[in-house]
Amino acid sequence: MPTISVYKWRLLNELKISEVQLEDLLFNLKSEMKPIDQDHIEIEINNDRPDLLFVYGIIRSIKGLLKKELGEPSYSIKDTDYVFEVKEVPNRPYALAAVVEDINFDDELLKELIQFQEKLHITVGRKRKKIAIGLHDLKKIDSKHIIYTVVNLDYKFIPLNSDKEMSVREILESTPQGKEYGNISLLDGKMPAIMQDDGQILSLPPVINSEKTKIDTKTQSLLIDVTGTSLDTVIFTLDVIVTNLAEMGGKIGEIKVISPYADKSPLLQHKSIKITTEYINKILGTNLNKNEIIEYLKMARFDINDLGKEIEVTIPPYRNDILSQIDITEEVAITYGYNNLSPSPYKIEKIGSLANRTKLIRVLRDLSVGGGFTEIFTFTLINESFLLGDFVKILNPITVDYNSVRNSLLPSMLIFLSKNQHARMPIRVFEIGDVVIRNENTETGYSNKLNASYAIMNSRVSFEELQAPLHEILNSLGINPLYKRDTHPLFIEGRTASIYVNNKKIGIIGEVNPNILEKIDIEYPIVMSEIYLDEIKDIL
Amino acid sequence: MLSESEIKILEYLSKKREASAEDISKQLNMPIESVFSISQLLKEKGYIEVEEKKVIKYELTDEGKRRLKEGLPEEKLIKLLDGKEKKIQELKDNLGKDFEISIGWAKRKGLIKIDGDRVIPLVKEYEANDEKEALRNPEKANKDILQQLLNRKLIIKKEEKILNIRLIKEPLEIKPALIFLTPELLASGEWKKYTLREYNVEAYPPFYPIGKKHFFKEFLERLRDLMKDLGFKEVYSDYIEIEFYNFDLLFQAQDHPAREIHDSFTINGKGKLTDEKLIERVKQIHERGWKYNWDVNISMRLMLRSQTTATTARVLASRPKPPIRVFTIGKVFRPDSIDATHLIEFHQLDGLVIEDNFTFRDLLGTLKEIFNGIGIKETRFKPAYFPFTEPSVEVYGKIEGLGWVEMAGAGLLRPEILEAVEINSSAGAWGLGIDRLAMLLLGLKDIRLLYATDIEYLRNKKVEINADN
Repeated sequence: MPTISVYKWRLLNELKISEVQLEDLLFNLKSEMKPIDQDHIEIEINNDRPDLLFVYGIIRSIKGLLKKELGEPSYSIKDTDYVFEVKEVPNRPYALAAVVEDINFDDELLKELIQFQEKLHITVGRKRKKIAIGLHDLKKIDSKHIIYTVVNLDYKFIPLNSDKEMSVREILESTPQGKEYGNISLLDGKMPAIMQDDGQILSLPPVINSEKTKIDTKTQSLLIDVTGTSLDTVIFTLDVIVTNLAEMGGKIGEIKVISPYADKSPLLQHKSIKITTEYINKILGTNLNKNEIIEYLKMARFDINDLGKEIEVTIPPYRNDILSQIDITEEVAITYGYNNLSPSPYKIEKIGSLANRTKLIRVLRDLSVGGGFTEIFTFTLINESFLLGDFVKILNPITVDYNSVRNSLLPSMLIFLSKNQHARMPIRVFEIGDVVIRNENTETGYSNKLNASYAIMNSRVSFEELQAPLHEILNSLGINPLYKRDTHPLFIEGRTASIYVNNKKIGIIGEVNPNILEKIDIEYPIVMSEIYLDEIKDIL
Repeated sequence: MLSESEIKILEYLSKKREASAEDISKQLNMPIESVFSISQLLKEKGYIEVEEKKVIKYELTDEGKRRLKEGLPEEKLIKLLDGKEKKIQELKDNLGKDFEISIGWAKRKGLIKIDGDRVIPLVKEYEANDEKEALRNPEKANKDILQQLLNRKLIIKKEEKILNIRLIKEPLEIKPALIFLTPELLASGEWKKYTLREYNVEAYPPFYPIGKKHFFKEFLERLRDLMKDLGFKEVYSDYIEIEFYNFDLLFQAQDHPAREIHDSFTINGKGKLTDEKLIERVKQIHERGWKYNWDVNISMRLMLRSQTTATTARVLASRPKPPIRVFTIGKVFRPDSIDATHLIEFHQLDGLVIEDNFTFRDLLGTLKEIFNGIGIKETRFKPAYFPFTEPSVEVYGKIEGLGWVEMAGAGLLRPEILEAVEINSSAGAWGLGIDRLAMLLLGLKDIRLLYATDIEYLRNKKVEINADN
């Protein structure tokens, strides 16, 4: 979840609330806050609410919860004589722009605006792949005709925070932004660019802006461009930025757009959803009347049109998380307050049941403990060098210690024993757990397999010492096994047996080969066994 | 009452009257340590008197043994010189490590003199007879020579304890004591001729490895019992999953950040899907809701499941007939740094209720009941966001000494999901992370202790009788 750093006093002063109240209200906006220093707090914002990634979006929502303002705010929109022309940009085809005037920034607000831009890039923009935003000081643009097009790599301009002119190629090769984002939109040696009609580049989406139009605390008017691969997301992103800036007093300026999909922007797209009180009450289990519901929805900053039986809810342009009636219902639950929704008394309808494997595991655990074995619990993930045969390898492991999924419990048990050579002997342990094997009959090509493993480590061990209790355990399950001489890479030849029931191999038992002991630095002899529980399930 | 060994020693002493412990050990073929401890017992019982003497003994060091065999370094030097002067470098090459020592001692003993880079012998032959005799027989050697050998670290001095044991009281009746009764002794009545030896019953016993269940597995089993008691049926599924069940069916968009490489473990290869109707419906709900082109190939990528909600998704995909209540407890895998509070594999408890008219308040009631069963009496609900539920809720529970702790994510399943699997009832679902909860409830400081690799930790761990209260 993204977090933002916010100048605390702006929130408290604008809303006239205490810090404790703020924490409580943020809780209801799915957010949590924690102090950074005397003046700043960090707020965690949920992924579904990009409109809260800027302090004025939070203020707008909280004003609703406090009933200081109800319904959707209306923002003044004026015409401008700017023109934004979209040419063909094959791999990043959508672009829109808008103007916002009469804003006053201070250091803190400017920082928070840039943070807003960055957080939108990461979340809505999917790290600038889906959309990217350019913020420009409008006064520093000396053309009314802005063009979105492509340029070749020799094209030159001064990138943000630099003092020398660089070619697009140099920017892609030598700046951190160029290296990180250049590949997203480079196609056939051409990069998307936003430029004045005289050819001066304003930004190179999604990589970098120009130094020419850099914003600072003296900036009073902004040109905002949004480019991307999804038209809906481009529209939404521009809407959420301009409405949040309007919330702090900015005047939204509309631009003429020359493009196949829009003729002006921002679009400030609204949609409406119809809903009934019955639906909401049925979902929530409440008994709210229509007027109460309308009040709660207005607190959530929605405009309402009472149609009699139905309520029409208008979704503001900055709310992209409201997809259908159910999302409206959640808004009612939130403004009503989750902790005011008393949990229903729990009723048991039917008796429950445990999976058969759980029942088998429980019986086997009891028998194993009865056999004098202590239960251990090891990780499923393991280093591949301990595994034999076919196994699943993780493509993106965190550490080599856990880069594969085990196909047998024995290696995990050996690792466990290797770490316990200074413990009191004898060590008698068992584990029941899942391993993963190839299985062409499943949708994934793999399946879990339930195994049980046993081991005895001591200064002297013998085959029979393990075989005897294991035999009694199997007998107690109603199994009368046969032991057949066999070989196994982990065990000593001549001290290894496969365990059979009705001609089906259900396990292996043997004394660990000293070569193996040496390889994993174990100085005590070990005898161990693995039983394949899936194979005996049917017999039981 | 006397033990068999005590009787043996007393019998020996009643003939000899007095003997050293070493002598007794040799004669009775008994380890010297046993003689020491038994004489202590006999002394306490008033049968003997023990006199302790300390004796100095000399022992050759490894070097001492070697020098005795091969000759002292200064002997070697004189032999090498053979009456003629030689260059230092030549001697160094010949004598190696012994060079310095041999020159030192030869000079001190006046056997050579050094002139520039040459060594001139003052004798033609030399045998260190005194030293070698002293090495052979240190006890008889002269003090100065002995001191010299000690300084040269050819011998070491050791203090040895000698016990002299004297009988002071004749045992009245020597009736042998028994340690073990045997069936033969019992059948024959022989046992009456013996006394039964006393044990030191107040001593701690030796280690005995008992079998024991794992405390964390027991915690998981208690949760299973709880869910069963609440009327839920247990289900499970495999660790390797296709993204379709882990994400797509749960309405998680294909470009959702949680699907990125650093949030789940990926596996090479592709799975397969056969339910064409389900694929088509999932495609529809994604494209309608998230407005992008849904790609069936992405949904077939293999991964280690990152949530047990994948199991819930498989239950949904089987289009069960409501009413149903199911739960699963199983492992999930997520890339993370491994430390005291984070693991890359851990457990979740997922639950699903599908019933006509199941409301959000019913869901809150269910969650409250589950946490109550775990022993968390106070719960608090917070609005939350999960792609597959709406309304969504995070459940906080109050833990003694820790305050409010986030415990679970839950919500009513989105209508889009129910539509995809053609279910008309409403459904509630939740996912509960178990490991951290267990760590808090069991009072562990480090989550890795749930998978402790130290057997002594498991052996010493107290077994909770009523951990859920």
